[in-house]
This record gives sequence, C-alpha cells and structure tokens, in this order.
Amino acid sequence: MARRLAACCALGLLIAVLGCGRPGGPVVKVGFIAPLTGDQASTGQAMLNGARLAVEQAMARGDILPGHRLELVALDDQRSPTQAVTAAKRLVADPDVVAVVGHLNSSCTMPASAIYHQARMLQVSPVSSNPQISRQGFDTFYRTCATDDLQGPAAALFAVGELGARKIFVIDDMTTYGRGLANEFAKKARALGVKLLGHEGITQGDKDFTPLLTKVKSLAPDLVYFAGMFPEGALLIKQRRDLGLQAHFLGGDGLFDPVLIELATPEAAEGIHLTTIGSDVHRIPTAQAFVKAYEDRYGPIGAYSAYAYEATSIALWAIKQAGVKDRQAVLAAMKGLKDFPGLFGPQNFDEKGDSRIRDIGLFTVKDGKFSFLKSASWD
Amino acid sequence: MTGWQLFLQQLANGLTIGAIYALIALGYTMVYGVVQLVNFAHGEIFVVGAYLALTVLSALGIGQPLAGAALLGVLAVCAVAAMLGCGLLGLGIERAAYRPLRQAPRLAALITAIGVSFFLQNALMLIYGATDRRFPVLIPPVRWEVGGVTITALQVIIWAGSAGLMAALQALVMTTRLGQAMRATAQDPKACRLLGIPVDRVIALTFLIGSSLAAVGGMLFGLYYNTINFHDGYLTGLKAFTAAVLGGIGNIPGAMVGGLVLGVLEGLGAGYLSSQWKNVFAFVVLVGLLLFKPTGLLGERVAERA
Repeated sequence: MARRLAACCALGLLIAVLGCGRPGGPVVKVGFIAPLTGDQASTGQAMLNGARLAVEQAMARGDILPGHRLELVALDDQRSPTQAVTAAKRLVADPDVVAVVGHLNSSCTMPASAIYHQARMLQVSPVSSNPQISRQGFDTFYRTCATDDLQGPAAALFAVGELGARKIFVIDDMTTYGRGLANEFAKKARALGVKLLGHEGITQGDKDFTPLLTKVKSLAPDLVYFAGMFPEGALLIKQRRDLGLQAHFLGGDGLFDPVLIELATPEAAEGIHLTTIGSDVHRIPTAQAFVKAYEDRYGPIGAYSAYAYEATSIALWAIKQAGVKDRQAVLAAMKGLKDFPGLFGPQNFDEKGDSRIRDIGLFTVKDGKFSFLKSASWD
Repeated sequence: MTGWQLFLQQLANGLTIGAIYALIALGYTMVYGVVQLVNFAHGEIFVVGAYLALTVLSALGIGQPLAGAALLGVLAVCAVAAMLGCGLLGLGIERAAYRPLRQAPRLAALITAIGVSFFLQNALMLIYGATDRRFPVLIPPVRWEVGGVTITALQVIIWAGSAGLMAALQALVMTTRLGQAMRATAQDPKACRLLGIPVDRVIALTFLIGSSLAAVGGMLFGLYYNTINFHDGYLTGLKAFTAAVLGGIGNIPGAMVGGLVLGVLEGLGAGYLSSQWKNVFAFVVLVGLLLFKPTGLLGERVAERA
C-alpha cells in the first residue's frame, strides 16, 4: 500500500514538473512527417533540418499568430504507408496543428492526403512527385516540386537524345513513386522509338538484385533505368558493376542523396546519371542565403532540405495570412498565394496544387560527388 | 551471353547468398537438433555478427580495400571477434532465457525466443542507430571472367570461408567427443544424463557454435552488400530457417544443402521468372516441400524419434 502511495505521489510530482517546464499560453503547431528512422532516415533528417530552419527564421521575424507560440511537431513515417497514416491521424487529432509539411514518399503522401483532406488541414508536400496525388481533387494538397509526368519524359529524352540509348531495361521498386515514374519514362521512351527489353520490379528492403541484373546483362541493353529510392539504387549500382554490366545507369530523384554514393561505393557510382525534380539549389541565386544559413548550422545540405524549407515557409505564410488558429481559414488564405518569394523564384500553384516551377535537373556522379549537368523547364 | 552462361551466372549468384543462408541455417538446425527449439533470436545474432565485424573494422580504422596477407589478417580478426562476441551472446541467451524453461512446455520457450528476438533488435537499434550503416569496402573489386561467367574476389572468399567452416563443423560433430555428445543429446537427452554426459554443457556449447557460425554469416553478408541495418535479421533469418527446414531440421548436412538449394532456387526464380516475386519463391518451395516431403531433403528426424 505504501509503495502504491509513493508511486502515486511520484507520478503527481512528475506531472507537476512537466507542467511547470512548459511555457504557458496558446500554441499553434505545424506538423512535419518524413522517414526519420529506417533506411531513408538520412533524407528525412535533412528535410527536417530544412523545416526547422524555416520555423526558426519565421519566429525570429516575429509571431506567426499574435500571442501564440509556434511549434514544429516532427513525426516519423519510416517510409511505410501504414505508419504514415498513423502519424497523419495523430496530427489531425491535435486541434493545435493547422498545417502539415510532408511526406517524402508518394506511397505515404497518397493515403495520408485523404486524412488531411477530411480534416480540412493544409498539406504542403515538399517532394512527393507522383502525379496521381494531385489528381484526387483534394483542395488541401499542395506541393513544391515538379511531378513525375514531367520527370519521366525528361529522363527518356535525355536517355535517347544524349546517351543514345536504343535498348532500355526498366526497373522500379513497385511503390507509388517508383512504378509511377517508371511508367511515365517507359511511355515516353517507347514513343521515341526505344526498344524496351523489359520492365521488372524489385522489393524495397531487399538486398540481392544479382539474379535480376544477371538477366538484364544477358539482354545487353544500352541503358538501365531505375525508378526507386537510394538504398536499393545503391545496391543495384554496385551489383551491376560487380557483374560487369556495362550499360548506362539512369535513375530518378529518389537516388538524390549523398548516401547513395557512399553505399554504392564511389567507383561503382562514377558516371551514373539521375534526374531531379527541380534545379541545383546551389545554382539558384535566390536560394543562396538559405544554403549558407543551412550549411553553417547543419553541414552539407541534403537533397530535399530546400524543398522542406520552402514547403514549411509556405505553410507558415498561410497561417500568418489567416491570422487565426483555424484550419479552414488557413486553407482559404492559401488560395490567395501569389508569387510567394520562394527559394526557387516566385512560387505559384496551379488549380491542382502543383507548383508552377517545373524544372527538371540532370546530375551525374563525378569524382564521388553529384555534379550538376543542366536543367530544363517543362510545361 | 549464351543461355548456358546465363544459367551458370545465376547459379554462381545463388550459391553466394546460399552459402550465407547455409551458415545461418546451421545454427537453427543444431539448436533444434539438441533441444527441439526454433531459436527465433538466431536471425538477430546474425545481425549482431555483422555489427561486431563493422565495429572491429572501424576500430582498426580500415576504409580502403586491402590485399594479400593484410586482407586475410583483417578478415580473420573480424571473424574471430564476431564469433567470440556472438558465441558469448548465444551462450548468455541460452543461460538466461532458455535454460530456465527447459522443463516448461515447448511453446513457452518458442515465445521466449520471439521475445529475445525483439529485445535484440531494439537493443541494436538503440546502440547502432536506426539508419543503414555502411560497411567499408575491404575486398578489392577484382573480377574474373570464367567462361563468360563473372566472379568477384568477394564471392570466392564467401565460398571458401563458408565451405571451410562447414567442413570444420562436420569434422567436429562426427569425430570429436563433443560432437558425439551432441549427437547423443539430440537422440535422447534423458539417457545421456543417465550416462553422465553433461547435457546442459553440451546444449550451451551447441548455442555457442551455432551463434559463432551466424556471426561469420553476418560478417560476409555485410561485406557482400556493403550495408547493414538493425532489421536485416528478420527476413534473412526467416530465409535461413526455411533453408534449415528445407534440408530437414535437426540435420546438419541438411542445413548446408538447404541453404545452397534455397539460394539457387531464389536466384533462378528471380532471374528466369520474375524478380518481383523473388521472396515468394523461397516460401512457395518450403510449402511445397512440406506437403510432399515433410522431413525435408535429407531429414530423418521424424522417423528417428518415432
């Protein structure tokens, strides 16, 4: 009995201490969801840093809502659609959360977007690029990147026009993002007269792709196209080298993380190409102040740090415009966005919520680093 | 590349991952042999082996490919450290989690094994972090073309290493007194006790040996794929368990054959049919085999016990 009493007292004390530790007053929250653990954690953490920087800079400029503290609530979706839905439900259940920045993977953004839509909560996705997401007709959905119906064809044009590919093998990771991008690429490649030797899927989290790559090698393609994320991409790149598969290797923006080169080993990654949804952030004059602030604080900038910063800044702008802690008001304010002074130039959204900045970048790996080749605007 | 070369290449691929499956499968089968327990924590022990090898490599400050004696020396140091670490871990798990349940219903021990597996997985996540850890490239990227089939130096090391260990294990089980005691314990632990065989010590040593083989499997796995993650033990452990059942659980040569057969079947299935069903093949094969030959390829356990 005495023990139970002591436990109760301790619990009460704990609650009191926690209560005291928190500054009082009303709070307004912005959610952030990305894979913060698991194999894609490096990308997710770099995005979180970008979002944090946006929140801190906004706070330094003064209150977002008069009399309210601003708080960033970061949750982890482990790149799993089920975890994404769980995290999304947690966010919408908190009445202080009025907007969300997320997710990374289209397969996570897709089911979560329905939850935000139902809760009338503004969602700004930094880099989920599957075109189907914005075709669902959700007025709560916005994204700051170009989409895969632009990226896929751009990659196909590059593969055929500049790498001279005539015979291509397509691999994807069977996710919403990977399969969607691979199909867009294959469609355009076929229209350009390319012979598609095959199109196969791999499983996320798998490590041994040598059986598939051996088959690919026996078909002797000029180019292998991979639509998927960097953990699997790195193993494909390394194992293709070990098997002596000579074809060009071209991938999508899911490969755009420095960890790719580390995991694949710089020698094996040398000379591969990838497209990105947006240009090189280091080359955009309007983004340089952000790049410097980020790198002073967190070290080398991640692939999608800038997009997370942009998406968070836009969400904060909408909350400030709304002037009240009300999800509906934030959504209404978002509709009035015009020429937002973003990192990539004036940011505008079309009626589906897709960014009107439609640059597709092209990178190669040179001397163990991503090296920018060019970018083109698509419309 | 002709059809024949393609087949041989797929065979080589399959034998590589198969050799790793076999090393892990041995631990499942040895433990099952002596205590009739499916040690589900074994997959995690395999990952611990990979992490221990990685820790040793980082401690030695090795980030570049090595050659010759230096390479063999470093590999040996890593292997010994990982084997010792995992062997002791296996011993500790047996002592702390399984021995107290020796007389309990078999289901209790099985559930404990699953609990130990969760415990180890989360401990690994807390110690080494949740992200993929990169293995340094230790083996120079040397490739040989043998009749149109590409073989890497690393593959040769994996084959040689696992073949050596399996031969050593077979010799230990068949020729030493410990091996004799292990075989006797597998047949009838009660009679062994009556004859004065220290059954508990034999069981503990079985865990130690099985775990240290998995440690080498983990090290080779890390070197082959260059990355390791705390949850890699789940699927690989499940596949190795499948390999053990495939060969006939409790049967040591069976686990070796089962691992190689599983690796090759997976490789051929993914290469000739469809890579997106790769993980399905392993389990389809398992179900099929259990339907038509429940004792596994080389298994005789059921008859022996009956």
